Amino acid sequence: MKYLSEYRDGRVARALVAKIRAAASRPWVLMEVCGGQTHTIVKQGLDELLDGAVEMIHGPGCPVCVTPIEQIDRALHLAARDDVLFTSFGDMLRVPGSACDLLAIRARGGNVRIVYSPLDALELARKHPDRQVVFFAVGFETTAPANAMAVWRARELGVTNFTVLVSHVTVPPAMIALLGSPDNRVQAFLAAGHVCTVMGWTEYEPIAAKYRVPIVVTGFEPVDILEGILMAVRQLEEGRHEVENQYARSVRREGNQPAQDLVSRVFEVVDRKWRGIGEIPRSGLGLRPEFAEFDAERRFGLEGIHASESPLCHAGEVLRGRLKPVECPAFGAQCTPEMPLGAPMVSSEGACAAYYHFGRLRRPASAEV
Amino acid sequence: MSLDTLAAAGLVCPAPAPATDRVQLGHGSGGKLSATLLRQRFLPRFRNDVLAQLGDAAVVKVGREELAVSTDTFVVSPLEFPGGNIGSLAVHGTVNDLAMMGAQPLYLSAGFVLEEGLPFDVLDRVLDAMAAAVREAGVLLVTGDTKVVERGKADGIFVNTTGIGRLLPAFRPAPDRARPGDAIVISGPIGRHGIAIMAAREGLGFEAQIESDSANLFPLVDRLRGALGGAVSVLRDPTRGGVASALNEIATQSGVGIELDETALPIPGPVSAACELLGLDPLYVANEGVFLAFVPAAFADDAVEALRMHPLGRGAALIGRVVQEHPRLVVLRTEIGGTRVVDMLPGDQLPRIC
Amino acid sequence: MCLGIPGRVVELKDDEGLRTGVVDFGGVRRDVCLAYVAAEVGLGDYVIVHVGFAISKVDEDEARRTFEALREMSQLDELEWIKDVAEKSLEALPEKVP
Repeated sequence: MKYLSEYRDGRVARALVAKIRAAASRPWVLMEVCGGQTHTIVKQGLDELLDGAVEMIHGPGCPVCVTPIEQIDRALHLAARDDVLFTSFGDMLRVPGSACDLLAIRARGGNVRIVYSPLDALELARKHPDRQVVFFAVGFETTAPANAMAVWRARELGVTNFTVLVSHVTVPPAMIALLGSPDNRVQAFLAAGHVCTVMGWTEYEPIAAKYRVPIVVTGFEPVDILEGILMAVRQLEEGRHEVENQYARSVRREGNQPAQDLVSRVFEVVDRKWRGIGEIPRSGLGLRPEFAEFDAERRFGLEGIHASESPLCHAGEVLRGRLKPVECPAFGAQCTPEMPLGAPMVSSEGACAAYYHFGRLRRPASAEV
Repeated sequence: MSLDTLAAAGLVCPAPAPATDRVQLGHGSGGKLSATLLRQRFLPRFRNDVLAQLGDAAVVKVGREELAVSTDTFVVSPLEFPGGNIGSLAVHGTVNDLAMMGAQPLYLSAGFVLEEGLPFDVLDRVLDAMAAAVREAGVLLVTGDTKVVERGKADGIFVNTTGIGRLLPAFRPAPDRARPGDAIVISGPIGRHGIAIMAAREGLGFEAQIESDSANLFPLVDRLRGALGGAVSVLRDPTRGGVASALNEIATQSGVGIELDETALPIPGPVSAACELLGLDPLYVANEGVFLAFVPAAFADDAVEALRMHPLGRGAALIGRVVQEHPRLVVLRTEIGGTRVVDMLPGDQLPRIC
Repeated sequence: MCLGIPGRVVELKDDEGLRTGVVDFGGVRRDVCLAYVAAEVGLGDYVIVHVGFAISKVDEDEARRTFEALREMSQLDELEWIKDVAEKSLEALPEKVP
């Protein structure tokens, strides 16, 4: 596939690995905040290839994983209702709430359907005017324009049986929270290429300056990630801390203006709770009051859901990069993809799932400082 | 709405896990859940040495003859898809299971559950395809049964076919016979059937130039037998769960490790593209017209050559080897030189967007 | 939610006032909403698609420039690289019925 396969070229990748190893005068610690990048790193064994030169810490880049349990429980409650057709991306179906997951609700007769695009969910609402169609709007900034368009179109076309259950989070506040933590070890970041395709990279400039960390906007294929890492390592070696763009074939500094415009017309910045991390102020998106009629939480009165998390689950530490999945005592034992304790083990972008499926040959890292 | 409400609605599960008290879709996907279902609920009730083999078909003795018996039920939706329909699939599936045990398919039975309201022209097309497949395979459909259920209870048509075959002399591939040093060959490109089905389903909304590879594999198996005879130690057609699941089962049953080369996997462009779009891994996508063969390393080239001489085997390729390391694990060497484990999936592979 | 795939715009449509199109991804086609790239994208252009929406137009010049640099860096033989790319382009064509 054009503009995809070339970035998996083995020779180019190996040459980049060699360049990184040659450039790194000491082991640098980098973090990627994107489940897609985590997935590629573990799936392609990039962390193995860079062992000793660069340590990759996996950040909270999986919006599925950071969705608070209460929100999953709200989804489960809605999906169980007879009058609701609950729609979602496939990623969400096996994520455990306090008790069950969406797949279990489907097994018990709930109407749960996987869609590829939020517009498909809207289409279902138009096709089934007698049902309430709810769409689980989970994601980072990448997905916000799509979800915004679905709500916008719903209003334009006068669709009254369509609502969204929103769980949007944004990346920069999470990065700041991590950087502000006293035991932070991260020295440079790879920024998510598709988040930045939408948002541009202006929000990262003050972060790079204030915390003196290089930030490289990076794509998702092995060659992209290796090139991004090389650019970050070079900055670290040269004592620079700027925002650079590896993913130039898709990302511009100002991002996608029309997308940003519609997102800000439909959504507003709100405080959001990140599972395993806690509340980060102004780190999420919620529907603007003008669009309240499309808010599933409003329409179905979902206040008062109390969630409980398994005490054995260390998802929070994994999501903050404090613990590698293989270092978690429950990994592969009480917590497996069939019986997950937390979202990172069951989400296809989750770090725990990536290690479980692809990385079981890896030794746990030796004791960290 | 608190957890109490969820409980009142009968929705609280006993443990923080998917519903453990009832059947889920994943139980039918050929992955870990399927294996667990079999092991925990079915096998304990029907203990015998033949069943315990868990081969694609069962080998039974009738007097002095050894026969292979296999059964399979087909519930595919949609009923008709590019490259076939549930009728042709039902014949190929069972005939292939017999072939994988080294048996020549001879007789088939077919049981139908038809849904009230099924249009006759659909049924006719299914039966026509079935009849054509039966003729091409040189088998006889000798007995059958038909039931009709109410609207909504059967997705159009469910079909079960059971096949009987005669074991061929000195040819006994079995899933526990893989040994370190064996080469692993695949008879053709992977991922076509699963993607063709998905493309034909509504909801994911894409078109692809992919047809199901559903085919009778016995002639190709016979060609391989002609070239290598009893040296073929394992045959398996990677249907539901794909190549990954099939290799994991064999690795477990033989107690060996398996290594695959990513660059050697024959994946057609559109299959690869559809998998990218949906976030699927081609190694887990169902196939209905290819098989895996384990042969001693010295015969690997002969095996590939023999397969390539037959129209169905033109895309045959050497894709990996059996090793002593990491027993029961399947490991892939990636294009860029890293490694990753190719695990059994718990249940269905879900299309992901992330 | 990062999965964004590059594809080529092969048809332009209007869906009740919404700019949409058909995008070809290496032989697989899907309807895609083009509203966010409408001003800059035409037939034959490549876009990055996420959950059914084009979020950017692929800057082909930039991609070519970058890949030239990478190729040089990895010191691939010119002829070998051309052969490789040609093979990969052939693979990307839709496969005929077996």
